[in-house]
Amino acid sequence: MAGGITFTAVDSTKLATAEIFGRTIAELGAENPNIVCISPDLATSTKMADFLAKYPERFYNVGIAEQNMIGIAAGMAKSGLIPFASCFSVFASLRALDQVHTDVCYQNVNVKIIGTHGGTSFGQAGSTHHAIEDIGVIRPLVNMTVIVPADGIETANAVKAAAATPGPFYIRINRGFDNVVYSTPDYGFKVGKAVVMNEGTDLTIIACGSCVYQAMQAASMLKHDQGLSIRVLNMHTIKPIDREAVLAAVKETRKIITVEDHTVIGGLGSAVAEVVVEGGKACAFRKLGLQDKWSAIGLHEDLLAMHEIDAEGIVKNVLEVMKMDFEADEDWGDEV
Amino acid sequence: MAKEVKITQSDLYAARIFFYAAIPLLKVICESEPKFGDKFIGKNFVFQISALYDKAEGGKFATHFVVEDGKWTTHVGAIHEKPDVEFEFSDLKKFIIFFTGKGMPLPKIKGILKLGILVPVLMALLRMAGLMQAKDKPEKFEDQIMLCKLYLYLIPNGMSQLNKLGHPDVKAVTGISPDRAYALIIEGYPELQSWIRMKAGKTMSGRGEYKRCKPFLAMKFKNPSLALDILMSKADMVQYIREENLFVDGAPEFGGTVGNLMFTVAYYALGTYLDEEK
Amino acid sequence: MALSKKEWFELETFAADLRDLTIDTVNWAGSGHWGGSSSSADIVTLIYRKFAKFDPKNPEDPDRDRVVVSKGHVGILLAPLFSLLGLIEKEQLKTFNLTGSKLGIHLDSNKVKGLDSSTGSLGHGSSLALGMALAGALKGQTYKTFLVLGDGECDEGSVWEAAMATSHFAKRGGKNVITIVDRNHNMIDGNTEDVMALEPFADKWKAFGFETVVVNGHDIPALAEAIERAYKGDGDKPYCIIADTIKGEGVSFAAGNYKWHYGALNEEKYNTAKADLAAFRAKRLERVNKEGK
Repeated sequence: MAGGITFTAVDSTKLATAEIFGRTIAELGAENPNIVCISPDLATSTKMADFLAKYPERFYNVGIAEQNMIGIAAGMAKSGLIPFASCFSVFASLRALDQVHTDVCYQNVNVKIIGTHGGTSFGQAGSTHHAIEDIGVIRPLVNMTVIVPADGIETANAVKAAAATPGPFYIRINRGFDNVVYSTPDYGFKVGKAVVMNEGTDLTIIACGSCVYQAMQAASMLKHDQGLSIRVLNMHTIKPIDREAVLAAVKETRKIITVEDHTVIGGLGSAVAEVVVEGGKACAFRKLGLQDKWSAIGLHEDLLAMHEIDAEGIVKNVLEVMKMDFEADEDWGDEV
Repeated sequence: MAKEVKITQSDLYAARIFFYAAIPLLKVICESEPKFGDKFIGKNFVFQISALYDKAEGGKFATHFVVEDGKWTTHVGAIHEKPDVEFEFSDLKKFIIFFTGKGMPLPKIKGILKLGILVPVLMALLRMAGLMQAKDKPEKFEDQIMLCKLYLYLIPNGMSQLNKLGHPDVKAVTGISPDRAYALIIEGYPELQSWIRMKAGKTMSGRGEYKRCKPFLAMKFKNPSLALDILMSKADMVQYIREENLFVDGAPEFGGTVGNLMFTVAYYALGTYLDEEK
Repeated sequence: MALSKKEWFELETFAADLRDLTIDTVNWAGSGHWGGSSSSADIVTLIYRKFAKFDPKNPEDPDRDRVVVSKGHVGILLAPLFSLLGLIEKEQLKTFNLTGSKLGIHLDSNKVKGLDSSTGSLGHGSSLALGMALAGALKGQTYKTFLVLGDGECDEGSVWEAAMATSHFAKRGGKNVITIVDRNHNMIDGNTEDVMALEPFADKWKAFGFETVVVNGHDIPALAEAIERAYKGDGDKPYCIIADTIKGEGVSFAAGNYKWHYGALNEEKYNTAKADLAAFRAKRLERVNKEGK
């Protein structure tokens, strides 16, 4: 990839994830004059201000009109630009879905959608502003790549990868600050390739977004308190999903828990389940996330706990799944 | 000497390892080495090793092999009523002393006239004893491989036998274990692998690659010779790990657990406990 | 600049050929959107044969004028059009709507060379056209982007989101969008004014900041004059031409009949349609002969 991302862990603790996106896109804008930004009255919220300040002629505020934003982006991409269209994940995925479907994905154009305020990260705004179905809604769209970065540095990596890769991308980031997962951008981020955060053989936790940090905390607690060996995968790319990593988790650990700040229908858990089932090898399996219900209003951290997708909730579920039997209780004879 | 022989719990552990894990290796010898195995082609017979023990069902412990045209089937812990050839020890202690190599209390040999069976069986038994009771690593490479195979097939099975007999030290490990496997692997030799799987107090052992999942911990030896250094207690495990002759794949903090289980098996199989009883 | 008689004659002939080939394609396909296709035939003829900088031999020229036909259900008009322009083999039209064909009700820009955008879901074309225009202006290109809207389609809110933005971004490229609404007054369930009233339609476009004109969409010289004005683009506002048309124009049993939004032809109806179109061609050419200069 051209150019270096200049963020470090120190920066990333000081910057909200969207701010890191904003800085990254401003840096990319310097490298590539075809990059433009579009926002539906959210330049401030989605932190495109840096880009706007540097390249006002390449910034378009379309007012509160997400459908129009996506349609314009598709038209721009048809004419050789690389538009980054950013708005709240819930509106990018639901309000503008028809445009994302037909104008962007059907035509397979080079539009990058940055969905902010992902999951329940805008907790206090309530369900009108929570994006708990976006992955499930966007994931089936043909040609679309779906990425849910774990933190600010991974967001920068994802945005750079999206700019460098032709075709539609949906990148879902959170409102506010993310717990720092990566201290350096050079950890081998590759679209479609899960990152092994922790090696283990007793069970695999497959997480995305803010849940990656929680899963790592959970794995650490489980190791120290229970002596369990937990593999943690950061499945930052939901589509195309890393089938190899999922199948290895089935084969090698035989127990999988998925964790996402999203409904358990259609998101990461479903994507992983599809691979597991097609793999033809049984495993104990549980999906953590919103269990087909609306979230309460509250602080993001509190909501993660309510939905058992924080470290404590993950620990509780891991201990339950460790006891789950999925195989016939075989003959425990010894080979002679 | 009084006829009354005192059988201890340790004797029972040792006997269990021999009847269930060690004696079955005779079949491994015959299957791996044509020099011994080919002698049984075209032959059909039952061979049994037993030791009298009045508290056992049927009055003795036994393991027997059914050989059909040179093809061996093992029946561990099972008495055959009419074996063609049988080595019967008059008591369990003698059986253990014989198999630990701590003495030569000869068994009663039934079917001694069936030389066509007896001779090749004795040869195979001597081959096994020669390899396993040697103090030093064999020089010939084929012998090293064979001995590795015998050790690897014996150790996890021995652990599993102790568990099944309720050995407290072993139970302490297996009882709290999630579904996990521990494997012994000599790299580059697919048949030189074995494993024990444990789950909430239950165990099973097997040979070759563990296929159910990735072993929780695998001790991977670089080659057969280096493996024997460790298995025969000729080298320091920690040093070998440092020198990368042995790679512990998985939770390193559990390396000690496996080591302890291996020592427990050796404690009975080598008859160390007998020395302590004296 | 008025059309010369020769040019008018050529345009009329092309439009008549296009209507003929369209009804043939409807016949081959067994059915099709004849209504909205016939009402747009003169509009697309003028765009592609008179105004758009578009060379069928170089359909991906980055400096070409763009055309977005937002009423995407007229694939059965556009495919014959592209065939007459030499971009699609005539034989291929016979596969229209057949399983595995590259051509279907709504054309796919990834399968049809020269088609600037896939459309089909109504109300999308306006934003797409605006995006193309903004991109051209940013890159210092001077191309225009033609946008053909259906009138019924203007029920969609997204049309007005884009209309607002086209005016708002007039100086940044929005002005290079030339909007032509095919005002054929009919939609699937009936007359636009019965289903969802559009009038005062021109006022709406004016209120959204467009230089708006209403012309007869089947009067080639009048429509040409309106498009010429829009193409020249005096003033600060983007242009909207409301082309007053007849749905089903040229075929007696379909003209003005909302039920002919989409329909099937049998042999009798096809023969009638062909005869009607021949008469319609003659009538239109007669006018050229009479009024052309």
